[in-house]
Amino acid sequence: MTKEVLTVKNITKYYPGVVALNDVSITFKQGEVHALLGENGAGKSTLIKIIAGAVQPNAGEIIIADKSYTQLTPHLSKALGIEVIYQEFNLLESLTVAENICFGENHKALVDFKAMELKAKSILDMMGVQLDLKKQVKYLAPSQKQLVEIAKSVSKNAQILIMDEPSAPLSVSEISKMFDIVRRLKEKGVTIIYISHRMEEIFEIADRVTVLRDGRFIKTENIKDTSIKSLVSLMVGRELNGSYPVRNHPIGEEVLRCENLSGNGDIDINFTLHKGEILGLSGLVGAGRTELVRLIYGADPKEGGIIYRNGKEVDIRLPKDALANGIGLIPEDRKLQGCFLEKSVSWNSSIANLNAITKNFVVNLKKEKKQAEEYCELLNIKTPSIEQMTKNLSGGNQQKVVLAKTLAANTNVIIFDEPTRGIDVGAKQEIYNLMNSLVEEGRSILMITSDMPELLGMSDRILVLHSGRLAGELSRKEFSQERILELSSGLS
Amino acid sequence: MKNFELSKFLGRYMLLILFIVLCVVFSIMSPYFLSIGNFTNIFVQQSYVIVAAVGLSFIMISGGMDLSIGYQMSLVGVITSSLMMNFGVPTYLAMGVGLLVGAGLGLFNGFMANTLKIHPLIVTLGTMTVFQGLSYTLSGSKQIINLPPEFKFFGQGYIFGVIPVSVIIMLIVVLGAHFVLSKTQFGRYVYALGSNQEAAHLAGIDVKRMKLAVFSICGFIISMAAMILFARAGSAQSSTGPGTEFTCMTAAILGGISFTGGEGKISGLVVGVLLLGVLGNGMQLINLGTYLQYVVKGFVLLGAVGFDIYQKERARQVKKAVEN
Repeated sequence: MTKEVLTVKNITKYYPGVVALNDVSITFKQGEVHALLGENGAGKSTLIKIIAGAVQPNAGEIIIADKSYTQLTPHLSKALGIEVIYQEFNLLESLTVAENICFGENHKALVDFKAMELKAKSILDMMGVQLDLKKQVKYLAPSQKQLVEIAKSVSKNAQILIMDEPSAPLSVSEISKMFDIVRRLKEKGVTIIYISHRMEEIFEIADRVTVLRDGRFIKTENIKDTSIKSLVSLMVGRELNGSYPVRNHPIGEEVLRCENLSGNGDIDINFTLHKGEILGLSGLVGAGRTELVRLIYGADPKEGGIIYRNGKEVDIRLPKDALANGIGLIPEDRKLQGCFLEKSVSWNSSIANLNAITKNFVVNLKKEKKQAEEYCELLNIKTPSIEQMTKNLSGGNQQKVVLAKTLAANTNVIIFDEPTRGIDVGAKQEIYNLMNSLVEEGRSILMITSDMPELLGMSDRILVLHSGRLAGELSRKEFSQERILELSSGLS
Repeated sequence: MKNFELSKFLGRYMLLILFIVLCVVFSIMSPYFLSIGNFTNIFVQQSYVIVAAVGLSFIMISGGMDLSIGYQMSLVGVITSSLMMNFGVPTYLAMGVGLLVGAGLGLFNGFMANTLKIHPLIVTLGTMTVFQGLSYTLSGSKQIINLPPEFKFFGQGYIFGVIPVSVIIMLIVVLGAHFVLSKTQFGRYVYALGSNQEAAHLAGIDVKRMKLAVFSICGFIISMAAMILFARAGSAQSSTGPGTEFTCMTAAILGGISFTGGEGKISGLVVGVLLLGVLGNGMQLINLGTYLQYVVKGFVLLGAVGFDIYQKERARQVKKAVEN
């Protein structure tokens, strides 16, 4: 149990403008389950990519079986016995279970199906699971696909198995089954690096845990010497700087209320939004935040529930109904959902409310130009001209174009889904100032964000979601990173 | 950088340059090519193709595709002729019914695309076969001859003795479509749909309704093309029409209407059709065999598309270099 199989030493990785990993050193021992813990952006994914050879570090070394490497390639990493099971499965959907498990091993001209199935069966037996070897993978449930992934790694004689959020697609009973397999592998001497957001799982399965925060190594602890509370405080232990602009305006009456809003998977939610308020929507990835706002906006069909706008019931079936009721959405992915990249800034800014500048079916180009120029001025959109294609703008300016499009539709309840993702620091500040002036003018904002400082700094009130349900509601006085993390992990 | 400017210029005017080069080459090789008579001929011959291509361009710009337009023409032509000749329906009434049937066939395509939620390419592959079957069933594989002169006027007649009626119809359709696509709110929505369907949905555009509209418009315009074609032939049979879809598609792509939608202009489309027309006409005049003509046309399409992709790739790389 004490032999070291993998050590990363002083690993540093920076991308333009961001330090993803800063001087991180961790030692992994043979036959242990070692959990990696950290918030979004803490550097976990970068670290596993470096171990898998998908990303090359800028400094530091990786020591495997007493040999030191400054960097790995995917090929070398596999040859050294490292296998990764990513969140998105990496299986060939139209091949069978056996073919997937043994994929890439047969170097003969003809495939020996008998031998292959025998081998696949022996691996699955060792794991203690039963699967139809001849079934095409696309017909398997997500949990079964994951078993195939694990079996595939075992067939490659993995010595180190990295599992990235393995429990995400699984139900409770499937998780305990997966844990059984993990324990079996551990007995065989395989080291498992286990990444999960779910605290309770880590306490069930892991031997040791390492906490990363903002790209730095914080601490490695034995699981039996620590507690959820102390891990949470290690994860969030940052000081919040006061860079968020302060607002001092009164919050008014109710402008939007959802009663038992359901649909889009497993959403069922009640909440109220007030005039002049920024309501933060928090939760882990997959908690249903985006799904919820798409329901409100009419982007996906509702199954039940009522939406009230200014106290009156409204029927929102499509985004155009939401816009007609003054509700706008700034979507999560501005390139795929927000912008028409091949079209100009002025074209983009008018598309959601062409009615305002159309007379007798004809779009008035003069009015469009004037409107676009006004928004460029108001939102400080930096573009050589309003005729510039939006794909040539920076992320922050693209986001402002999407905002212009939404505001031009006379909206006063604006839903922001990850308003500053992938935007540089300066532009972030500008977006925050814009959001503040929007609520100061009496508009209301519903904001989804995975960025903790942003959530705490911008919100007047926070709703925390867990598995499509409201896990808790925090007023400004009750804001704490620990409390939000606890609620979003399903601990109340 | 200067090189890049040149290639940008070429990209923008390549079609026109190609057109001029072809005209020069054919003028040198054949004494008959460069004459008013020959060019009028090309215009008359291509007018129905241009009309059909305009119909298709509505669908292509919105990001869809319609393989069934050839058999839509066949079916509309057969129905219209049959109404006139076998059921004694007055000519103009029969034509009116034909136009509505065309719009209905388009609507059906749009409805199927919405309901089945599969790409229109596949949907219209199916409906194409349906329309083919219906057309042959109605015509009984027989020719309907001696269509009335009022009908033939639309394909063979002249106004003031010099201007072909088919060319006038073509000009009206082209100008109308140009206006709708470039000036109106509806036109904006067509481009929005092709440029980014999800963003269009989130911008409050009723995507399903737009698809129905675009397919119906295409069907309507396609039946106008069918009228011209059948009127010119003077008789109707089910094998008239099919094949037009590929000519139109080729012309549209040559003319800069992107296969993925969201881009393209009617003016480019017209030049695209004329280019194919001139190419065909010129090769005929220099006595190149029909089958070799196919080979040349195919390579022209590959060349044009290849150059377009090369352009875009290059622009992307330049942008990347600037960003780094």
